[in-house]
Amino acid sequence: MKFLHLILRSLLRSRRRTLLTILSLGVSVFLVATLQSILGTLDGFAHNPDSASRIAVRHKTSLANFLPLRDGDWIRAQPEVAAVMPMQWFGGVYQDQRNFFANFAVDPEPLARIFKEEIVAYSEPQFRDFVRDRTGCVVGQGLADKFGWKVGTVVPLQGTIFPFSPRLTIRGIFKGKRSSDEMVLYFQYKHLEESVSWMQGRVGAFWVRARAADDVPRLIERIDHHYRDDLEPTLSETENAFQLEFLKMLGDYATMIQTITAAVLVAILIVTASTMAMTIRERTTEVAVFRAMGFTGRQMLGLLLAEGVLLAALGGLLGIGLAVLAAGALRGTIGVSIPWLNDFQVQRATLLFCFQATLATGLLSTFIPAYQAVRRPIVEGLRAL
Amino acid sequence: MTAPLLFLPLVPALAWLVWAALHHPVPLSYNWRSLWQRKASTLSTAAAIAVTVAIFVVVLSLSQGISHAFVASGRPDQILVIRANSRVELNSTLERGQVRILKAQPLVARDEVGALASAECCVIMMLDRSDGSGGANVALRGLEPAGVRMRSQVRLVEGRWFRPGLSELVVPRRMAARFQGLALGRSLDYAGHRWPIVGIFDGHGSAFDSEVWTDVEQLMQARRRNAYSSMLVRLADPLRAADFIQDVDSDKRLKLEAKPEPVYYAEQTEAGKPIQVLGQLITAILTLGAIFTAMNTMYATVAGRTAEIGTLRALGFRRVEILASFQWEALMLCGLGGLAGALLALAFNGIQTSTVNFQTFSDVSFAFTITPALMAQGVAFSVLMGLAGGFFPAWRASRIPVTEALAG
Repeated sequence: MKFLHLILRSLLRSRRRTLLTILSLGVSVFLVATLQSILGTLDGFAHNPDSASRIAVRHKTSLANFLPLRDGDWIRAQPEVAAVMPMQWFGGVYQDQRNFFANFAVDPEPLARIFKEEIVAYSEPQFRDFVRDRTGCVVGQGLADKFGWKVGTVVPLQGTIFPFSPRLTIRGIFKGKRSSDEMVLYFQYKHLEESVSWMQGRVGAFWVRARAADDVPRLIERIDHHYRDDLEPTLSETENAFQLEFLKMLGDYATMIQTITAAVLVAILIVTASTMAMTIRERTTEVAVFRAMGFTGRQMLGLLLAEGVLLAALGGLLGIGLAVLAAGALRGTIGVSIPWLNDFQVQRATLLFCFQATLATGLLSTFIPAYQAVRRPIVEGLRAL
Repeated sequence: MTAPLLFLPLVPALAWLVWAALHHPVPLSYNWRSLWQRKASTLSTAAAIAVTVAIFVVVLSLSQGISHAFVASGRPDQILVIRANSRVELNSTLERGQVRILKAQPLVARDEVGALASAECCVIMMLDRSDGSGGANVALRGLEPAGVRMRSQVRLVEGRWFRPGLSELVVPRRMAARFQGLALGRSLDYAGHRWPIVGIFDGHGSAFDSEVWTDVEQLMQARRRNAYSSMLVRLADPLRAADFIQDVDSDKRLKLEAKPEPVYYAEQTEAGKPIQVLGQLITAILTLGAIFTAMNTMYATVAGRTAEIGTLRALGFRRVEILASFQWEALMLCGLGGLAGALLALAFNGIQTSTVNFQTFSDVSFAFTITPALMAQGVAFSVLMGLAGGFFPAWRASRIPVTEALAG
């Protein structure tokens, strides 16, 4: 600790260089932290502990094929099943395509039970109104705030997948844990079925809640086995697996992000190494003087390494700070084009990773020039005086 | 394209530098040698810039690949007809009666076989990726024989086209590598039938490179559908496109929407937005970092050569000339990195990848194409970094007082 002052003084010797290095480290770390957080946020959807006891059942051929509604009755009769809900992605557009939000046609009765973890706070009477009104709908608080909707507002949706444009009356507004859970509109499946002739008795998917998470694998197997030789075979999977499939379609984003992270880390390493090499080269004489005064080689190495690590740490902290500050802005921009990033958050684990990575970079990049400087014979260093 | 605009303010700066090099030469070889003398720091800075430029070029080629996939798909003399409000073919339905009305329309072009109009059926099928990472939704298009002739950019490269009345598939070459079992002579199980693959085509980077093709009637039978999805029509006179669209829109029997094919595909380009936005963000941040790095190196160079600068001044070189000289050095440094980065990006050339079209949730495959133009943009970009990063250090070099420099 007594050398801290010395280290700080050496860093401050060339203020401009230190500042520029910290800035360039900072923006790079900011990039890595943000990219890794995006990865972490997306992964969160595929590893959501809240959805552990939910199963999505859909047509084996593809999402665009429909299952018969009657399949729901058989599934409901299984002993492990707590609730079953037909669910259809409606893909309706509100006023303009840019106002994208998720809207589903569902069975209103089991809705709050199926999404117990997502629909956290709601009013019972409001949801009873929703059940009674065939042209009613419920929306998340976030969505209602975004468009200034209140209970009673009529929301016209323009159908894209279906030749049907409903005018829905908001009967209830619910609150969720995550902001993406609140950017949803649910309306009555019956309304869709009655308005689109070819949807009679058919639905895109069933959302099933098992009584216990342990029952899920058995249930999945039983459902698929039962409908294996049916005209409309099913494909059941956990909600997490279902989400993962969608994420995979985004492209090989994980590889892309990891490649860029690796490239940026290499660049950081080179930049820090170059700065430290410059700093140490200019101090050849100084190192020799220190050693002549009685500092051991190991102490000198420690001092130089500490300087490099401190420099990297400052850059890392700046980057992390930037990432935390920019998180809100990112949510508002990228979150609009990629719905999953509505919940964009900078995770603590990511920040820790970034900080450790910068520290390691600082250590690695300083080691070689510092080692060379210390190994140089004292006499040679002093000769340059 | 905002990129060329970005370079505009730099044109006078570059012009001034060229003028300075031509008229009052501090020889450029002097800068070159100085760079060479400090190999370690030159190379490490150039490497950092190379990484940035490589990422810049790859991101650019990514967004260009996506746009190209859609833009190259349409012909201006062809009109796509879909159900009003359905936005994409996949969501649209077209009854047989509507198709008959459209085919009899007098503006439709005809060749020796019949009307150049193809009623088509688009559906989604699940295919397993060949890297074992699960399935992806792939568009499956059923066409009438005229539909194949109307896509002039699509060429058969192996095998033959499907025969009407048989359940046969023709697959794009670009998808063959990315999905299991997409090879000539193999077959796919779909909707309870076995579909042999009889041909492989090349869509020249158009959206059709992401679609499997088959006979429309077979597909509709297999899916137990009696409605088509869309209809593509070629007009005898391209100038009368507006009349045709007007005619379809106003026909009360149809309730359909007609769009020129290029317009329809241009709307689909939105699919690439998320990746493009992300890519631009990454590039912007990295650029900032690279500029700081370049600045740092140049400051160190200037500081290390104070005596040299003093000598130059004493020899009679003027301040402006020193300023130009050091800017040139920064440009060389960054240009070197830019060149290396552009070459590095070449390693990505030809790699097949995909993203998802958010409107249809189906796979869009495209290839990274690193063209010379993109590489040139990358190098130009590094020059920009050199100018931005080199100015302040060069300014400082030109301001060093002669006496002080010579004394130090």
